[in-house]
Order: sequence, then structure tokens, then C-alpha cells
Amino acid sequence: MSDNILCVKGLKVTYSVGTARIRAVDDATFDIPKGSIVGLVGESGCGKTTVARALTRVMAKAAGFEGGEMLFDGVDLLGLSEADMNKLRWRDIAFIPQSAMNSLDPVYTIEKQLNEVLIQRGGMNRREARARAEELFDMVGIDPRRLGDYPHQFSGGMRQRVAIALALALNPKLIIADEPVTALDVIVQRQILDTLKSLQERLGLSVILVTHDISVVAYVCDRIVVMYAGRVVESGDTETVLTQPFHPYTMGLYNAFPDLQSSEGLLTPIEGHPPDLSDPPDGCRFAPRCPFAQTPCSTQNPTLVEVGSRHVSACLRVDEAQQLREQAAQTQTWMGAI
Amino acid sequence: MVFVLWAVATILFLMFRLMPSNPLAAYIDPTFTIEQQAILMAKFGLDKPLWEQYFIYLWNLLHGELGDSFFYRQPVGQRVLELLPNTLILTFSSLIVAYMFGIIAGAWLAWKRDTFAERVSIPMVLATRAMPEFWLGMLLLAVFSFSLGWFPAGGTRSPGSEYSGYLALYTSRDFLAHLVLPALTLAIYSQGLPLLLMRSNMLEVMHEDFVTMARIKGLSNWTVVVRHAARNALLPVMTSFAISVGYQIQGNVVVETVFSWPGLGRELVNAVSASDYPLAQGAFLMIAVVVVLMNLLADLLYGLLDPRVSHA
Amino acid sequence: MPELTTARKPHALHWLTRRFARLQIPLDDPFAVTGLIIYAVFILVAIFANQLATHDPLEILYSETYELSSNLRPGEDGFILGTTSLGRDIYSQLIYGSRSALLIGITAAFMVAVIGTIVGLLSGYFGGWIDIVLMRAADIAFGIPFLPFVIVLSAFLEPSIWNVVFAMALILWRDTGRVIRSQVLTLRTRTYIDAARIAGSSDMKIVFSHIAPNILPLSFLYGSIAIGWAILTEAAISFLGFGDPETISWGYMLQDAYASQALSTGGYYWFVPPGICIILVVVAGFFISRGYEEILFPKLKD
Repeated sequence: MSDNILCVKGLKVTYSVGTARIRAVDDATFDIPKGSIVGLVGESGCGKTTVARALTRVMAKAAGFEGGEMLFDGVDLLGLSEADMNKLRWRDIAFIPQSAMNSLDPVYTIEKQLNEVLIQRGGMNRREARARAEELFDMVGIDPRRLGDYPHQFSGGMRQRVAIALALALNPKLIIADEPVTALDVIVQRQILDTLKSLQERLGLSVILVTHDISVVAYVCDRIVVMYAGRVVESGDTETVLTQPFHPYTMGLYNAFPDLQSSEGLLTPIEGHPPDLSDPPDGCRFAPRCPFAQTPCSTQNPTLVEVGSRHVSACLRVDEAQQLREQAAQTQTWMGAI
Repeated sequence: MVFVLWAVATILFLMFRLMPSNPLAAYIDPTFTIEQQAILMAKFGLDKPLWEQYFIYLWNLLHGELGDSFFYRQPVGQRVLELLPNTLILTFSSLIVAYMFGIIAGAWLAWKRDTFAERVSIPMVLATRAMPEFWLGMLLLAVFSFSLGWFPAGGTRSPGSEYSGYLALYTSRDFLAHLVLPALTLAIYSQGLPLLLMRSNMLEVMHEDFVTMARIKGLSNWTVVVRHAARNALLPVMTSFAISVGYQIQGNVVVETVFSWPGLGRELVNAVSASDYPLAQGAFLMIAVVVVLMNLLADLLYGLLDPRVSHA
Repeated sequence: MPELTTARKPHALHWLTRRFARLQIPLDDPFAVTGLIIYAVFILVAIFANQLATHDPLEILYSETYELSSNLRPGEDGFILGTTSLGRDIYSQLIYGSRSALLIGITAAFMVAVIGTIVGLLSGYFGGWIDIVLMRAADIAFGIPFLPFVIVLSAFLEPSIWNVVFAMALILWRDTGRVIRSQVLTLRTRTYIDAARIAGSSDMKIVFSHIAPNILPLSFLYGSIAIGWAILTEAAISFLGFGDPETISWGYMLQDAYASQALSTGGYYWFVPPGICIILVVVAGFFISRGYEEILFPKLKD
């Protein structure tokens, strides 16, 4: 037993579409320390949302586990029966979805939807549930008098707060937030992230925050896990990883996003697209887009190596990281890389 | 809605007045003299110009005055209101059965997507929609009434039976026994719509985020499928109930005829056959009123059942 | 089937495949293929009714000993499906019944699809008062009880199978019209329509060359449903006694059977076959339209 609430090791998830097999998550490895917010970051299609859903074991019919371990509090979630897994859901692992609008049932009031988890999953009676619901609304900053409202009566930001209240309902050990602020405008994004962060600190929550927006990670996360094409390419403490990235993809990603607090500076996108996961390239998957790729990169598969304290990176050129960082800071490096 | 009713009434007026044969042909005895005929024409207001007749007709309609039946020599309004309960009882009992069955079976078939059960059921359901209702009625009548003798062959009560009032009649075993076959016929025909609608809505709703979320919440299968998926899928199905009532009232015409069920539809057929045009007109209008009311109810019902509309 | 008759003419075949591709006939859907096969058989039977029938369907038949061949069971005296209470051959009536069904079905479907499509196109494309008038008319059509309307109409007009077609043309365009209107409304906002308008295409040209081809499958869908409706309606009207007694139709056969007490004498061989025929033809239309729905509303597929 470690200080980690969750250890994911070599996780593989494959979608079968017709005869094609898409390896959405291919050998993903990372840890979530207790009481911290960990940002899981990458472009769309890199497998981060699949990882988030895989942790709940509620996936699309086409998706299947191909291997790996998901040790939650020392127990491998993949080894649990469906009934045992279901006992864990929401009580231990809760979920904040991307779009609270679509994730709340439009025909029930928020109170009814809270009651559902508080009573059916939490074993409370009606009075306890009511008290808890009011407490939760207080915590996320909504007037408890609005408990009887329907989802469509809330604004986008309010709905996201409702989603947080729902996730907190049963004091879960781990909350998975899948792009919780993506659909909101920047000001509301900050408010929601502030709420989330303060609740996390106050309650000592462990949170996985899935996002494509590295500035969100920089704003709230203690640690960061960078994914590319179904694999983890770098992970470590947020500050270390963002100031001293070891993987060219992390360097590129950082250039491509504005700061949440200021929008100064030129943004440099990474050219090209993530690879087709039904037929991924050999070697390092980032090599085709990497400005620093060398011949071995397209044949040799890099593994995660320790590059600092609790900081790992999967790049064949980790030893030259300092030099690469200097080049990566220049815009022209990223132009015409492919 | 008033506009639609007015338009329907006008079309009806034109249809009945512009028909080639003399509207009084069935009423007038060949032995009547020209003078006697003229007196009759005057009595029914048929000697006046068409536009004047039209305004009298509308004026009377507004006062619920539908004229007298040639055949029964009694006010059409009274006759039609007497028959309306029979038609409504038949329609609602059959539709309630059809919807209860259709909703459950539809949800079940969505659950059984891509299984043998689904592949066999869907063509069967389509076949019930493809049946002429009266043919199904004939089949049930031949099997369960004539061959097996389980149910009476027609009407609403056994010959010779007397009831103190409508309530006593409608709650009697005899009446219910008479109701079974026609209601079953209509129910078998009608269950396809709610079933197919429920099935496709379920398939759609099962992909919604809130259903996935319900699973992630670890809620029981029952809660996920029934409380969330089915409850949402049900909305358009319930709306279709009102529309189905409207359609069914029209379809009743043939089934009421097969089972000699004294309802509006059968009365319409008889009145048309007997050229009893005030009665035909009255029965037609009554059916149209139900259709229009039900179309309106469908809109209202949707607002009532969907909080997105009612709590806007 | 067009494929059969044009198989030896490559040009016509090519033209047809192109047309069919436009209509997007769902040939990979087993339901739709079943439906098309039923239609094919049914059309062939209607065409070759003279060859297939063993007797004149309305002729009253006598045995060699000059006895009335009435109420014979299937197979008796060589009558495949037996005879009616008046001594008419049921099998031959069934064969000839396909002719009226075919005539009514095709013409009614054509009328409903054409009128509905035109209404939908005009209403959706031009909007304004045209739209208001046409959609109000549709409201009225929705307020008219269809079967009672056909009954009244049939009673006033000379008995004929065309009454049903006429009534359907008057009323049933409403569903097609509304659906096509909303389809046109969405198409109208597409950029290529704007592009065509800016490029100076006339309204007529835009409607017929850009919008109409896109709603053709939808018209076809409603047309194929209307075939079933027409056959069912004709059957109901004939059954109620407002049909043409000189024309053999499946509805007429059922009315004849019902009125001749075939139900109480166990004459299943008399009234079951026409019902089965109606179901088969109507269900074939449903099967084809289901195939269409999969194309038009593909979200249900996955």
C-alpha cells in the first residue's frame, strides 16, 4: 500500500468497429496520489476520456479491456465482479461529466436526482437526504432553495456546480472530472475551477481532471499526466513538468495554449494530427510530428524513464532535454516539422 | 382549432348539399304530391338559397342543433350523444390495453436489440399494422365466437337483457363480454404504434449521457432502464396516445360494423347507406370534433409531461 | 420488375441504376429486399392474372350435373381454394383482386407523393403567405376524419375503386407535405443553396435541381407507405359496401364472405386468403420504407 489512491499500470482499451480494432488506450501507466488533483492532458483522441470512463468500467459496447491493472486503494478494479464494481461506483469513485446539461435527466428535479444517489446508493432516509442535499448545494455555492428546479432552469455554470454537488454526494475517495469546464466561457471556467480546488483542499479529495487545456492543469493541478496516442508520455509534478518538460510533446502542448490568467504571448500549434489508432506508427508515436525526431525514434519504442523526483518521461532523447527545451521555445522549430 | 372545426363543418356542408341526388329522396314517399314535397323542402329549409342555408346551418351548429334524423325521427344531437359513450369506451379500453402492452414490449425489444427475439418480433408487429382491422375482427369472431363460443358475436348486450341505466349496463359482465372481441381487435391493431415508437425512442435515449451517468452512479439496472431511459422515451409515446384516439375513432367505423357495436362509426355507415343525411352529418361532425380535440390534447399533453416545456 | 425487363439493354440498365442510386433503394437491407420481392411477385400476378386464374372470377359455376358449385371446400372438384356461396371460384377472385390492389396502390401512392411533395416544396421554399395557406390547409386535412370522409364521398359518387384514390389525394397529402416542408426548410439554409442563389439561379432551378433531388427519397418513403394505406382503405370501403360490385377486390371478397355468413360456417378458406394477401402487400411497403428510414435516419442504426 502506498500513498496512491489509484495506480494504473499498462492499461489497454480497444474499440472494435467493424473489423477495425482501435487501440484507444495502449499501455497507459500513471498514479494518483491521495489528496491531490491530477491533470490528465492531451489532444482529443489521445485516449484520456477513454481512460476516465475505463476507471468507472462503464464503457461503450464496442470498447473492451485488453490488459493492464487499475489498482484502486490496492484493489484491482478489473478483477472485481460487475456487482462488486457497482458497489464501488459513486460511493468510492464519482464522476463529473463534460456536459452537465446532457448528463442530468431532463425530466427530474435536481433534488430527485440527488436523492437517487443519496437514498439508493447512500442508504439515507428522506430527511437525511434533504439535509445532505442542502449542505451540498451550500458547498458548491448554489441557493438550496433551487433544489426543486429542473436542469434546464440552471445556467451552464450552475449546472456544472450541480454536477460537482452530485459527485460529492457520497464522499467519494476519487472523483473523475471529464473536461468539467470545457463547455464554459473563460470567466465561468475560473469560478468553477476555484470552487473545485477549494473543495478539494478542504475535503482532501483526490481528483483526476481530464482536459485538453494545459492552462487548466497549470491553474489547479498538483500533478500532470500527459497522454499521446493512447500512451502516457510524461508525468510529474505540474510545476516541474511545465517548467522543465522532458518530452517534446509536452513542450509543444505548452506552447499551444494560452494562460488561463493572461492571454499574452504567441501561440504555436503542433502541426499535424494524432495518428490513426487502428494502425499506429512503430516506435515513438509522436515521432511523425516531432521536430526533434531522429532515425531510431521511428523504430524504437521509448519507455517511461525516471527523469527527476516523481517525474517520468518516454522519449529517446531525454538526456538532451535541456537543449530541446531551448529549441522548442522558438516558434520556427514547430513550423514545417512534418 | 375553432378555425379547423369551422372549415371541416363547411366542407361537410358543401359535400352534403352539392351531392347529385336529392337529399330528401329517402324521406319522400313516391306517392307524395309535388306540393307535399315542396312543404317538406320548406320544412327542412331546402327551398332557400345555398348561402342562406349555410348560415342557418352554422347558426344551428353553434347552438348544438344538428337537425332531425330522417330515419329515427328524433334529434340527431340526442342520437349522437347516446352513441358517443359506446364509441369512447371501445376506443379507450382498446387503446389503454394497446399502449400498456406496446410500451412494455417496445422497451423490452429495445433491450433485446439484435437478438433472435427482436428479429422475429419486428416483422410480426409490422404485420399487425398491415392487417385490415375488420379482417382481424372477422378472424377473432369466427374463432372465438362462432367456433369456440367463448364470446358473443356482436352488440353490447345479450338479447332480452334489461338494465336500469347506462352505468348498470357499462359495468355489467354481459357488456364486458361483448366488449372483449372488438376491443381486442382494435388493441392488436393499435399496439404496433406505441411499440415501435417506444422501441426507437428507447434506442435513442439509451445513448444519452444521462443514462450513461446513471450507470456510472452505480444505480440499479431497473433505475437506469425504467426510471431514466424509459421515462424519457415515454414522452413522445404518451403524446401519440391522444393522436391515436383520433385515428382510432375513425378506424372504429369498420370494427363497429363487424361487431354490430352501436357506436358513432357504425351509425355513420348506416346513415350514409340509408341516405339519412342529417344523421350522417352529425356523426361525421362528432367524430371530427373528437379528432380535433385529440390533436389539441396531444400538444397540451406534451407540455404537461415534459418539464422543459411546462417549467420554461 | 424493371431489372428483369431491361436486363438485355445496357444503356437503359445504366440509366436505371443511376436513377435507383438517386432513390437510394436499400438493397443491402434484408427487409427491403423481401419487400421488393413481394412487390415483384404481386405485380407479376396482376399482369398475368388472365393466365393464372382458372375461372372467370364473377361467373357462377355449375358442376357437370348442373348443380350449383357453391360452398365447396378447397380442393373439392378441382377448385384450388373452394367456391363462394354463390358458386364463384375463390382462387380466381384472389388472383384478379391483385389487379385492383395494384391499380389503387400505385395511383394513390403516386398522387399522395406528388401532391405532398409539391405542397412541401412550395411551402418550405417560398414561405410567406403560400406557406401559411398551405399549412392551414394541412391543419384542416388533419381535422377531417379520413375513413368517414371516404365513406361519405364514396356514397355520393358512383361506386368505383377510384373514389379511394380521389379521397386519398384530397386528404393524405398532409403528412407528406408537412415532413417535406420541414426537410426543405433545413435544406434551404445549406450553403450550396445560398451559393446557387447568389450565382443567380432562378427559384425554379434551385427547387428542381438542388432541393427536389434531396427530398426524393423522402417522397418515395411516404409513397411506399401510401400504397398500403390505399389498399387497406379500399378494402374497408368495399367491406362496408361502398365499393364497386363489378370490380373484384380483396375487400369485396371479404365483404362477400362476411355478408354470406362465412364466419359462422367456418369458411376460413374464403376470408383468410384475401386478408393474407392484403397483409403481405402492405407489409412489403413497410419493409421497404423501413429500409429507407435506416438511410434517412441513420442514428437508429448503431
